[in-house]
Amino acid sequence: MQQTEEVLFAREQEDDYTDQPAELQTDKYLIFSSDGLMYGIKADLVKDIITDYAITYLPQVPGYVRGVINLRGQIIPMVDIRLRLGKMPQENFCGIVVDVDGNMVGILVDMVEKMVDVPQRSILPVPTKNGQAMVSGMCTLPDGDTMLELDCDQLLHD
Amino acid sequence: MGDSILDMYLYETNTLLEQLDGILLAAEQADTFSEDSVNEIFRIMHTIKGSSAMMEFNSLMTVGHRIEDLFFIVREKGMDVVPEQTKPELFDMLFQAVDFFRGEIEKVENDQPLSQSIDHIVDKINSLIDKIQGTAAGTAAPAEAAPQPQEEAPAAGVSTVDENYPFGVHVFFDEGSGMENLRAFMLITGVKDYCGDFVCFPDNVETDPSTSDVIADQGFLIWFRTAEDRDSVIPAVKNAGSVREYQPVDAPKPAKEAPAPEAPKADAAPAPKADASPVQAPKADAAPKAAPAQQQHAKESLISVNLAKLDQLLAVVSEIVITESMVTSSPDLKGLRLDNFTKSARDLRKLTDDLQDVSMSLRMVPVSGTFQKMNRIVRDMSKKLGKRAKLTLIGEDTEVDKTIVDAIGDPIMHIVRNSMDHGLEEREADRIAAGKDPVGEVTLSARHTGSEVIIEIKDDGQGVDTQAVLNKAIRQGLAIPDHEYSQKEILNFLMMPGFSTNTEVTEYSGRGVGMDVVKKNVADVGGTVSISSEWGKGMTTTLKIPLTMAIMDGMEVSVGESVFTIPINSIQSSLKVTAEEVIHDPAQGEMVKIRDNFYPIIRAKELFCMDQGCDDIEEGILMWVEAGERSYCLFVDELLGEQQIVVKPLPNYINSFGVKNYGINGCSILGDGSISIILDVVNVYTAAHSAY
Repeated sequence: MQQTEEVLFAREQEDDYTDQPAELQTDKYLIFSSDGLMYGIKADLVKDIITDYAITYLPQVPGYVRGVINLRGQIIPMVDIRLRLGKMPQENFCGIVVDVDGNMVGILVDMVEKMVDVPQRSILPVPTKNGQAMVSGMCTLPDGDTMLELDCDQLLHD
Repeated sequence: MGDSILDMYLYETNTLLEQLDGILLAAEQADTFSEDSVNEIFRIMHTIKGSSAMMEFNSLMTVGHRIEDLFFIVREKGMDVVPEQTKPELFDMLFQAVDFFRGEIEKVENDQPLSQSIDHIVDKINSLIDKIQGTAAGTAAPAEAAPQPQEEAPAAGVSTVDENYPFGVHVFFDEGSGMENLRAFMLITGVKDYCGDFVCFPDNVETDPSTSDVIADQGFLIWFRTAEDRDSVIPAVKNAGSVREYQPVDAPKPAKEAPAPEAPKADAAPAPKADASPVQAPKADAAPKAAPAQQQHAKESLISVNLAKLDQLLAVVSEIVITESMVTSSPDLKGLRLDNFTKSARDLRKLTDDLQDVSMSLRMVPVSGTFQKMNRIVRDMSKKLGKRAKLTLIGEDTEVDKTIVDAIGDPIMHIVRNSMDHGLEEREADRIAAGKDPVGEVTLSARHTGSEVIIEIKDDGQGVDTQAVLNKAIRQGLAIPDHEYSQKEILNFLMMPGFSTNTEVTEYSGRGVGMDVVKKNVADVGGTVSISSEWGKGMTTTLKIPLTMAIMDGMEVSVGESVFTIPINSIQSSLKVTAEEVIHDPAQGEMVKIRDNFYPIIRAKELFCMDQGCDDIEEGILMWVEAGERSYCLFVDELLGEQQIVVKPLPNYINSFGVKNYGINGCSILGDGSISIILDVVNVYTAAHSAY
């Protein structure tokens, strides 16, 4: 009798272990697509998603910096992720404004897809060093897609 | 003790010290103290002493007190009392004291313990007092009174007291105990228990709170008919709360017959003057009283404000300016005829302009404060190095932003030191041989050009030995041997990190952290440093610092779809030219002749590699701009109009691409929410000419 109780007890504890950490250690990610790939950005970094804006061309900056926009009085540079990754440009309207170490930067993407909760543990390192640039990790989403975690630092600084 | 009190104390004391420095420098030049400056120094020392005592900074208080004593003598007897040969000593001591105060104040600011060893200064002051008194010895007794100047005031009170009550007790309450009049009243109540027959001064302590100041300053006096009465109340006085000190005193009447020596302590010491005291004492009294009144006046017309608050104000004003133009040029109003609205909008515009001007001027301070400090440095160094030199200040009234004033203080000091140390010739004979005034001259000048402040530090010394500089640069590995360097390039070596021409490290300069730090400090506020020098004639260092213009008038021009802003004050004029008027040079450069001068044309479209925009010189318009030494024509598509804009810095990320070097200085948000790029006229030119 006592033995069974102990067993039950132990099982309960076990359950605690598996449930709790999973809940604690998920991160919200905003998933967007660019050139057929799914990228994710930590939702904490995302300040805004914008579709209605006018980019002001800025001379003498690399081509992937499309210019600056006026976001409620703040001047924000816009980086086209397609150009940044060396892909063919495309008319993009969707911008995600992120805060990278205090620098507000807008990222032009093909489309914003959804928000997902991703358990921290499920983000795996990128297997190859010379693989997809600007990616700090990857994970498989519940619906079977693969999410590439965007490395915002690398996006801004080479 | 609240921080605000401490802040106030620091602010006040620093201001006083600066004032004192100025007085001393002027006095030293005149080699004497005018009556006014003696009074002023006396007052300053009195204030420093008082406030330091309040803050319990004893070392400051003691030194202040002794100098006050010293100047009390000088004030009483005139400057003649100081023997000629002690004058330099006196000045040196005072400068030393100012430095001491400064050092201590700095320690207070940095939360460090104050120095306890003030003996050397106090000794110096004492010996000076002795010397001065030595000369005053002929007039005997008053000298004794001098060290205790405050005690003289009650003596003045003494004479006004009823002759029937000649025996007094002079009571001092604890400093800063507050409500002295009530304490005095309680003391009286206590005394009544022993003896009812007395008068006191001031006498209306119970009803008149203003007497508390008098009591705090001069003490409280109780007079009795007989010495016995007085002795009987002593225990009451002794036991009363907050009594710091009490002394039996006698009215001057007996003192008339038996002067000074008999009197207890110094109180009756001014006895020789006692007869005249009703006349004289009020006069002596009047000076310190009048002075605080003046000071009060100065305080009322000046307040100190936290810089952060000013910035906040400026930010709000900027937003108002933007919003105002957003409202008045709102697209909703297009095509409507709104007479009343337009009129009101114009009034509003005028008011916001005024508001903006006022708020901008709040941050502006004259450079005189920074310049004046150099007087002291030149004086000290000229003494130490044995070089005679004078400092000439030009344009001290030039007003610049507070942040700039703060940033240029150290660089200017460093350059002035350099000039004194290395610039001016070691021996006067050399100067005379070179046909120069034996007294060296360092000139500090400040002036505004439209968009920048130019500060020049010029000396008429030996100038820079370019060959020596070059050799040193080669030794340091900064320059390549056998390479031809221009004079300018060689002078630029002076501003390289770790370069110092002086092989010897002196107290003042030559530590190898020299001009490069100057350059860095100036660069921090967006300025540049340039050096020019002619061997044998001296050296000029020029600091150019852009005025911080958070709001400025700009001319909007368009190139393709982009809008650029050119600062109004760098625009000379705009002009249309025909293709024939454009002159080509062999290197494909274009020029245009305006009023007998040729100016290069820079095409904004080409410089900024833009897709859209006019190529035909006859379709677009030339903006003739000038800034610094650059004058040229910028070719743009169209003139959109003048507008007041708020300068927004570009995001750091954008600046990291070095766009500033291409003359892209910032941006501003226009009334319709679009962004315009602000051009820096000088850098556009530099960029264009490095690109072509």
